[in-house]
Amino acid sequence: MALRSRGGWWPALCIGTASIILAVYLLLVTSNWIYLGWHDTLYFFSKSRMWERFWLTVWTATVSTSLSLLIGIPAGYALSRFRFPCCYLVASIIDLPIVVSPAVVGAFLFGITTRFPFDWISEYYGIYIGRNVYGVLLVQFTVTAAFCARLMKASFDMIPTRFEAVSHSLGASPLRTFFKVLLPMAKNGIIASMIVVWARAAAEWEGLMLFVGATEGKTDIMPFAIYLDWNGGMMGWVTSMSIVCILMAVSAISAVKIIGGRSNVW
Amino acid sequence: MKIIKSLVVLMVVSSFFLLTQAYGEEKRILFHAGLGQRSALNEIKGIFEKRNPDIKVNFSYKGSGYFIADITRSKQGDLFMPGEEFYLMQAVERGFLTDYDPKTDIPAYFVTVIITPKGNPKNIKKIEDFARPGVRVGLGNPRSCAIGIWHQKTFKKAGIWDKVKENATMSAKCIPELGNATQHRAIDATIVWATTAVLYLRDVEIIPIEHKYRGIIRLPVGVLKFARYREEAQKLMDFILSEEGRAIFHKHAYAVNSVIPVDKQGFCLDGITDQDMGYLVNAAKAVKDASYPVTEKTVGDLAGEVLRQKKSTRAGD
Repeated sequence: MALRSRGGWWPALCIGTASIILAVYLLLVTSNWIYLGWHDTLYFFSKSRMWERFWLTVWTATVSTSLSLLIGIPAGYALSRFRFPCCYLVASIIDLPIVVSPAVVGAFLFGITTRFPFDWISEYYGIYIGRNVYGVLLVQFTVTAAFCARLMKASFDMIPTRFEAVSHSLGASPLRTFFKVLLPMAKNGIIASMIVVWARAAAEWEGLMLFVGATEGKTDIMPFAIYLDWNGGMMGWVTSMSIVCILMAVSAISAVKIIGGRSNVW
Repeated sequence: MKIIKSLVVLMVVSSFFLLTQAYGEEKRILFHAGLGQRSALNEIKGIFEKRNPDIKVNFSYKGSGYFIADITRSKQGDLFMPGEEFYLMQAVERGFLTDYDPKTDIPAYFVTVIITPKGNPKNIKKIEDFARPGVRVGLGNPRSCAIGIWHQKTFKKAGIWDKVKENATMSAKCIPELGNATQHRAIDATIVWATTAVLYLRDVEIIPIEHKYRGIIRLPVGVLKFARYREEAQKLMDFILSEEGRAIFHKHAYAVNSVIPVDKQGFCLDGITDQDMGYLVNAAKAVKDASYPVTEKTVGDLAGEVLRQKKSTRAGD
């Protein structure tokens, strides 16, 4: 259809480029799947360890996304609607975890938790900060919270302020306006960004490697487990888990499209 | 809004899982162990936890070179088992380990072997072959993994270090990287521990090294000074050092002879490890060739490992 439009070669070139990219990615998946083979696919997919890890990834990512949203929605709203002292500074600090490698986040968390007052708390109560599933959540939250606020700001930015002005002029309080006007309008953007944040949390591992360390069955979320098994020479686990990760990502993206979430990210 | 409501429900449900993860009164030993020991230590953990239901073992697996930074900074951990005595001595020097006895605290040894991709394309037979031009050699980085130190030692002893350095195409941060590179034919030959080689039976050829270049690496274990559960950690350490613990290490291709005569540098003096090497070579044959018999006689204690790798084409467990 597009090919038949005027000046046929330019759209053809663009579509061709798009198909090459698609082909490369499809090749990546299929070649790995062929390497794994059908017999091994069934073998690894029927292992309970695979699904324990999968479920661990899903629930930790969901909890940390929820926490991020609790912070991200009000923060994004504030950044989008209000001008306060140093708001540009705040906005650029919030951008930091997106730009800086998660490894840095992990190293910093490690540094902080071994200093006062955290070292004192961990000694006094005999709990280890990090090295357990709370450490996983902390890393995921630290990496995604700012990211979430950033996306929320973008979602709220897309809504014209006129609607709020009308709501205010009709006598609604700012709180009521936020919940009854702004939030429903930003719904699609919120859902879309939430899934992006969720995917980001589920893919996190650099920070985990430095801060949490690997305990099998406790902190080995999918990407981390891939690294662990890579080091154990278990190529079967590596490949089959990578495939599960890809399927997870594809279903997350499709979920956004089906729900109809739209924002500046898509 | 319906969707948002259902999402809220999902969040609440998954938050409950957070609570179920909350720790009870059980004792959790934090065990710093080298990544290479993972398969053997997981098996030991399983048996130990079954016998002592109130004690749980948490591993923090890393490349051996990463531990000192972690332990220095965090001052946490009960047991320490890096992949080389050198790293343990670093901890002893810093005072993190006070009662280490090099005579008794060695449950097992690593033995060095040559591995090449399946079919041995460059026909590597002995240490000197690594110096041949055109052989892509994988070396370890001595700063982050113990095998790097041994590469240097071995090739220097053979007098070919400079040539091997020229042939080197990779500097690995941890020993499994060398195994994976060999498996995927990214390098033509490298030296690894027998315990690493045994993970890749299907995809590599294993070549035992002659005695004078065969490294015997002491694998120590110790209780850290700031252990929270000293008694329990000691109990686990005793189990690791017991005959039963050693037998588990032997199943994963560690050498567990009580005395292995070595020279000052740690190279083998006699053929006491020859039998284990023979088992290892046979194990590689057994995984590749379905008709090869898997018995006590051919592969010794490695039968479990062979059967695990025969179960799937791409190794898993």
